[in-house]
Amino acid sequence: MVFKYRLEILSILAVLGFCALFLYTSSIMTDAEFAGSDTLGSTQIAEMTGKAEEEFQPLIWQWAPPSGEIESGLFALQAAIGGILVGWVFGYWKGQKKREPVK
Amino acid sequence: MHIMEGFLPLYWAVIWWIIALPSLIFGIYQLKKILEADREALPLLGVTGGFIFILSSLKLPSVTGSCSHPTGTGLSAICFGPWITSVICAIVLLFQSLFLAHGGLSVLGANIVSMGIVGPLAGYIVYRALRDTRLNMYLVVFLACALADLFTYFTTSLELALAYPAEVGGIASSFVLFMGIFAVTQVPLAIVEGVVLALVFKYIVQLKPDILLRLKVFPEEKIRAARSEA
Repeated sequence: MVFKYRLEILSILAVLGFCALFLYTSSIMTDAEFAGSDTLGSTQIAEMTGKAEEEFQPLIWQWAPPSGEIESGLFALQAAIGGILVGWVFGYWKGQKKREPVK
Repeated sequence: MHIMEGFLPLYWAVIWWIIALPSLIFGIYQLKKILEADREALPLLGVTGGFIFILSSLKLPSVTGSCSHPTGTGLSAICFGPWITSVICAIVLLFQSLFLAHGGLSVLGANIVSMGIVGPLAGYIVYRALRDTRLNMYLVVFLACALADLFTYFTTSLELALAYPAEVGGIASSFVLFMGIFAVTQVPLAIVEGVVLALVFKYIVQLKPDILLRLKVFPEEKIRAARSEA
């Protein structure tokens, strides 16, 4: 039985390990902001070029979500699109398998 | 994460677009051919593409005290190759640059090259090298997915280093700097992503092995052996 579910167990362990690692780092690095690495990269560029970050204007005009709430909503929408696709296909395959019994 | 809009000088943005376009066009051509030959490939494309949508929207905290997100491109690279994957990535990245202000239209080319081309290509090369060896099938999927994720961020670092060489040490030393920001953050994420996508691949093997056989993703004996042990 353990053999059969080893990938499931490994996945759970990996996710738990990841959570534990996060709890550990956030407890020892009290000043960590957990900002996006792209924000850090941009700060780094600003430092290297000696220009202020605000000086980097988009080359092509771009709409930005007015608030963090709206942004997280749109990210949830993106994940939902993916989730619907995955769920729909797995359900479709499962239904197909039921219709044509094991060869 | 991606390069932000405005942070690449115009000529670098154009260069990456020029590199990205041929592979996008070739990807669309390949996609058309595969779907014409086998309509049953469409659901598989939906699953692999769906995971790119899900995983690239999850921003996860990491050991460096910053956040980044996995890419999810490895699975699609294994099933369909890097060129079709670049088309799916282009759709996701376009969504993010239009609605989320993550990335942008001028740097879209650079982001397609890192997430859609070099990352999946690295994963694909690893997978092709190990496919016919006796190595466990899921281990191959794990390695390909984790490396596709990591190489995406190596490429992002390289793209930024090329555009912004350090005054002392030039491209190499700023590459190391950007690697510290992007790639180190990514290591734990890449490992988790690899394990999870290997699990997803197991479910595909169990539910729909015939499509994997028709696309010749893995040799028949390997898929048969994996099914009989579950």
